[in-house]
Amino acid sequence: MDIEVAEVVDFLAEHAPFSDMLGSERITIAKEAQLRYFRRGTVIIEAGAPNNSLYIIRSGAVDIVEMNEGLVDRDEPGDSFGTSSVLTRLPSRYRATAIEDTLALVLPGRVFAEMYASSQVMHDFYAPRQKGSLRKAAQELQRVDTPILRLDAIDMVSREPIAAEPTITIREAAEIMTRERVSALLINEGEQLVGILTDRDLRSRVVLEGVPNTELVSTVMTHGPLTVSPEMKAFELLIIMTSRHVHHLPVVRDGKAIGLVSAGDLMRLETANPVFIVGDISKKTTADGVAEIAHRAPRIAAQLLAQGADAEDATHVLTAVADAITSQLITIAEKELGPAPHPYCWVSLGSQARRELGLASDQDHAMIISDDATDLSWYREMAERVVDGLELSGFKRCPGDAMATKWQLRESAWKRQFVQWVNEPESNAVLHAQIFFDARPTHGDFTLFERLVHVVFGGAQRASRFLGHMAAMAVRREPPLSFFRGFVLENSGQHKDQFDIKSGGLHAIIELVRVQALANGITEPGTLTRIEALRSRGRMSDDHAADLADAFTFISYLRLRHQASLFERGQQADNFLDPESLSPTERRHLRDAFTVVRQAQSNLQYQWQTHLMN
Amino acid sequence: MSIFRKRHNRLRTDYLSRAPEGPVHDYLAEPFPALDTPLRELPMLAVDLETTGLDPAVDRIVSIGFIPVDGHSIPIAGGRELLVRPKTVEGVGHSATVHGLTDDQVAAGLPLTEALTQTLAALRGRVLLAHHAAIEIRFLSRACQNVFGAKPLFAAVDTLALGSDFLMQGDDDIPRGRLRLSALRAQFGLPRYRAHLALTDALACAELYLALTAEMGQRTLKQVIVR
Repeated sequence: MDIEVAEVVDFLAEHAPFSDMLGSERITIAKEAQLRYFRRGTVIIEAGAPNNSLYIIRSGAVDIVEMNEGLVDRDEPGDSFGTSSVLTRLPSRYRATAIEDTLALVLPGRVFAEMYASSQVMHDFYAPRQKGSLRKAAQELQRVDTPILRLDAIDMVSREPIAAEPTITIREAAEIMTRERVSALLINEGEQLVGILTDRDLRSRVVLEGVPNTELVSTVMTHGPLTVSPEMKAFELLIIMTSRHVHHLPVVRDGKAIGLVSAGDLMRLETANPVFIVGDISKKTTADGVAEIAHRAPRIAAQLLAQGADAEDATHVLTAVADAITSQLITIAEKELGPAPHPYCWVSLGSQARRELGLASDQDHAMIISDDATDLSWYREMAERVVDGLELSGFKRCPGDAMATKWQLRESAWKRQFVQWVNEPESNAVLHAQIFFDARPTHGDFTLFERLVHVVFGGAQRASRFLGHMAAMAVRREPPLSFFRGFVLENSGQHKDQFDIKSGGLHAIIELVRVQALANGITEPGTLTRIEALRSRGRMSDDHAADLADAFTFISYLRLRHQASLFERGQQADNFLDPESLSPTERRHLRDAFTVVRQAQSNLQYQWQTHLMN
Repeated sequence: MSIFRKRHNRLRTDYLSRAPEGPVHDYLAEPFPALDTPLRELPMLAVDLETTGLDPAVDRIVSIGFIPVDGHSIPIAGGRELLVRPKTVEGVGHSATVHGLTDDQVAAGLPLTEALTQTLAALRGRVLLAHHAAIEIRFLSRACQNVFGAKPLFAAVDTLALGSDFLMQGDDDIPRGRLRLSALRAQFGLPRYRAHLALTDALACAELYLALTAEMGQRTLKQVIVR
């Protein structure tokens, strides 16, 4: 009888990719492998020398050093090295040195190459990184599906909409609705949607008003009803329904109704939905009342993540809530102060503008005021009330003072301000100005914003020195190299017990994407939207864009999950992640994400040098 | 039963001449590696026995685990764990709490004759490696004598002796327990294993041997062989 070397097989079962392989495959590896011992200081693979083995560390630690770049990785038990030289059959680019006494499983290159070819798991793991591996990782983190977040409007349309011409009578309309068992009837003129008639309309506008049912339906229907596009998310529909007090939303493409979503459809998806918070906020008439509801938002985000939402979904929900809070606070202030003397636009900045709000976000905003205004005291008072209200609602005051209490300028003053930032790009000014380039109007007269954007982005696109400064700042945020024994491994080889996932990960991506968006006249603030815009304009390769978007989504998710868990434990949300809180697979993917960021930074650096030379 | 340098192959031929045809004879027919064999080429077999006690006269072998060491590497495919079926119905008794084998598992094992035959075949031309090798040597010799009517001879390397030499380098007084397999392994950061499975212990001993000789720098069999 033949008992396998259980210690070796069990060891393999604890580490990726072997953990994901079949038991029989692990046994094959164990049987083909040899154990070897390397005293600390031993060079296991020499750079430039051929290597024909895969090494899997059993105990000890090995530094992987690339001759030009220095330390590339520090491997610990369960990690493997030597793969690239086996697969390429080229001399090793790295030197692998045991930095502690090391015991390693050594698998012949031939066996590794065979398994690499035959095992999907092995292939996925060792394939020269990427092409969606991070995306897969992010998806694996969120296996559960929440339909309200996943589904698009079009997914909820189960049948052709029931529609009629505006020339039928009210009675005929009621007959159709009864026969078809629908609570609303769409009214089309030819192909175009022109109105909607609901059960409620029949009660309130026909029966109660005493309108005879022989009248034309067009006399009582709602003209030009609120509609949604097929791509909108189910939760966004819910937000619209609760905030606009409608129960039916026609789904429209090119003016033609292709379906109808009712509140009942949404309720069936999710009986207890967090997004009702938006409707609740819009009912509050005091800042205290708003704050009371606002404090439910972090719990909601935590729940969403627990239910399997991805980072984009969760940050969108948090942003929608923040937008609702902002709008309601402004509405309350306007009621108390009386209407604004002249038009203005309230603009969200930074993460709220990008729709990437986390749980530890400050408030960042500004106000554009019509040039007709001479006395700004109304606006000042309003801004102060809103800032106070936001603070009550849990949004800390911006330490950099990027708030409408300070930044309330008339349209022409804004233009001068932007010209100054763009033309005098001292690095301090750039640092300051960055946040103003992530802007989105949330309340008031949006045309003020749009005119300004037009001018500002046109100017920035041509300002090479300004963009150069921004690019230089974007590459300055170096992500960590890797993880080692629960510590963060910096490029210097130093270990740290935690790292700032916002500064070292997210913002590195946000900034390098922002500068490229500005250079290409892309005005959208969202990072993922900007990446897609850069890709579609041929400014970023498909692969590069996919990698960067995946890295961003993955890092965002880890940050949100971290913040949600702090929140659950009643602690203040922050951005400092302890590597011990990550699974080995997550650490590995995060390391890949860092590699993507570093690559993007070096691309940017290269592009920028080229750009300046031309 | 172990042998002194230079004489070990001569002694082997003496044993061979007395051994009847059979597994012990076949084993002894293959010469031991020469004493000047470099360690990087030395063929060894790490062996561990699980027994019902410490006295070969009364206790018996419950399982035999072994794994080859070829120079500085351990080919895992050569690892074996041979459970030995007892001749009588008498159970493993108390010792089950030590090695974790139940009577049922042991009953499913090999007859002692077969287990010894396989072990001797694996040992052919190799140096026996064990932690506190005297135990393995005594039990194997006794069992072979009983089963085949002949005593084998072993060229042996003992990681306990090597470990003792290693610790003596530092201080003269070695605290109790420091020479245990697991304690010595911990010195080199080797993985923690579940103790008392014969193959696992054999592997643990083989890894420790690689670590000890790498650290102390012996180069030939002569420097490590049990005298």
